[in-house]
Amino acid sequence: MGNLIKAEMRKIVTTKSWWGLLIPTVVLALLFALGWGAITNDINDYLGSSDARELGRAAGVEVTTLPVGLLALAHGINIGLLFPLILGILAIAGEYGKKTITTTFLTAPNRVSALTAKMLTYILWGAIYGVVIVGFASLGTVITVDSPGIPDAGYWFGILGAGVLASILATLFGVGLGALWNSTTGATVTSIIWILIVENLLVLVMWGWGGISWLGGVLPNGTLNGIVGAIGAEAFGAAGTAVPDAIDDEAVWLMQFTAGAPGAFSWWASALIFFAWAMLLFGGGWAANQKRDIT
Amino acid sequence: MHDGSGRIAVQNLTKQFGAVTAVQNLSFTVEPGSVTGFLGPNGAGKTTTLRMLLGLVTPTSGAATINGRPYTQLGNPARIVGAVLENEGFHAKRTARNHLRVYAAAIGVPDQRVDELLGLVGLSPAADRPAGGYSLGMRQRLSLATALLGDPQVLVLDEPSNGLDPEGIAWLRGFLQSFAQQGRTVLVSSHLLSEVEQMIDQVVIVSAGMTRYYGPLEQLRASQRSRVLVQPADANALVTALREAGVGEVQPAHDGRVAVTNAGVQQIGDVAAKAGVAVYGMEEEKADLEQLFFQMTSPQYAGGAMPPGQPPQQPPQPPPGPPQQPPGPPPGFQQGPPAGQPQNPYQAPGYQQPGQQGWGGGQ
Repeated sequence: MGNLIKAEMRKIVTTKSWWGLLIPTVVLALLFALGWGAITNDINDYLGSSDARELGRAAGVEVTTLPVGLLALAHGINIGLLFPLILGILAIAGEYGKKTITTTFLTAPNRVSALTAKMLTYILWGAIYGVVIVGFASLGTVITVDSPGIPDAGYWFGILGAGVLASILATLFGVGLGALWNSTTGATVTSIIWILIVENLLVLVMWGWGGISWLGGVLPNGTLNGIVGAIGAEAFGAAGTAVPDAIDDEAVWLMQFTAGAPGAFSWWASALIFFAWAMLLFGGGWAANQKRDIT
Repeated sequence: MHDGSGRIAVQNLTKQFGAVTAVQNLSFTVEPGSVTGFLGPNGAGKTTTLRMLLGLVTPTSGAATINGRPYTQLGNPARIVGAVLENEGFHAKRTARNHLRVYAAAIGVPDQRVDELLGLVGLSPAADRPAGGYSLGMRQRLSLATALLGDPQVLVLDEPSNGLDPEGIAWLRGFLQSFAQQGRTVLVSSHLLSEVEQMIDQVVIVSAGMTRYYGPLEQLRASQRSRVLVQPADANALVTALREAGVGEVQPAHDGRVAVTNAGVQQIGDVAAKAGVAVYGMEEEKADLEQLFFQMTSPQYAGGAMPPGQPPQQPPQPPPGPPQQPPGPPPGFQQGPPAGQPQNPYQAPGYQQPGQQGWGGGQ
């Protein structure tokens, strides 16, 4: 297994994909954190004003100390998570595309070990991407958010852990997807469209028309975003924690939506559900590759 | 684990892709110490068979084993089997050296082996160029280098001459023969008999997914019926005389000549002399092996009589002829390089002369 992992590492570092994908990762994580940081900082400024304070007191919530930086962090991280997912897709679908899968299977004792080596290698790469993503999202946050809105170190380490975990899981999700659907283009385009458009529309529509609020808490994008997003929402008292009676369900949902995790139950529930999605794809890809004819 | 014999056994192998039967009940064995040609027209199921042998395609029924085991049960298979396949994929942006380093790591051989093989196949000067810019011939060399990384006992090549220049083909021929002479196994597919005729000892001929012949090439050659064209003074008299003497099968040709099959020139001459028929000339026609191959693999042949030799569609057994001991190449085959027993193919003279590329080096 050590040999196969070494081979997988060499595969990654001898082409440009790994750093080519890091460029948009860094740019988008930074930009989204900057953008959300700027917006939420203004909100914080507004909330800090006496009017808002009065309103808040009337509603029974203390509004002065919202760590809005968490929102910026969560959005920066969540957009960045697209790329470890794509990196994961390339792991196996890319090999099918380049037909290197033939040699990969020929030089491994069996397909199970080839896929296992890939999984282990991509866990490491998911973690590397996760650290980079959290790093640049944090940078964007500290640039735009004033100190009252910056989460404390405890929260930040929580976000770092959640971000790295989410990145690893996103990579594995991609590896599984690419193993199941061995088309790089098909799997990449579909997952991007799903994540950015389809699922968000679905969640909004089902919430607006059907009053279904939990959908975002179980679908892949919602749960992936929920891992980090729920920490932000939780800090606002809106995800899986007891909320003041004054805030009704709809308001909670909207706050979660703002945090990028509509319907998220809690960060760990999101992580577990997304892990289940990743494993579902991985298991499917695993099974599909056992018998797939390489012609 | 595997038995280390170096024997390839294909037994009642069948593969259906949906409604299409690519391979139907194919059986043959390939013995170590010889180069076996796997011949058949395009679409005969050769590639599918080789891919089943290599564990890349799952058979519908039957089995293909190397050293008595399916590919996926060989342990570290690339140490036992090397494969050169058509359309072998290289990442277009990865250099040849890096490509080999990746798979050297997977197999667990030292990186030094990469440089050795780059030198052997003559790719050292181009080693740091992306494989995407390689010519077909260079890709074939890189494929061969990849196949040889694990210093395998068995080499399987699918249409390896594609894209090679005559010099490359000559080099490959010599290389494979020397590889087999070390008691290793070589199975090489081709749709052209002429392309591999000079490098193979054994032959498996398939068509429409079925075995048409397998056995020594020499036997196939010997099985051909020669024909003698006789130019007599009196064709009718000669025909009568030959028929009375019961010599060969006689057919008068239109141009006044007489075609005699299954009889030697001497026999015919004796009969003619006895009958008092003057003979002005005799021409011996040896049927072309390529023609025989064409007959065997053309669709009309399907279902027809088998040529003499190993009857097909029976459980594989070692082909007749000098068994057990790895047979040396039959006479007339040693056009390649050195018959000596090099310790390994890479050090064979002619492959790696100092300061000269193995590939394309003088032979």
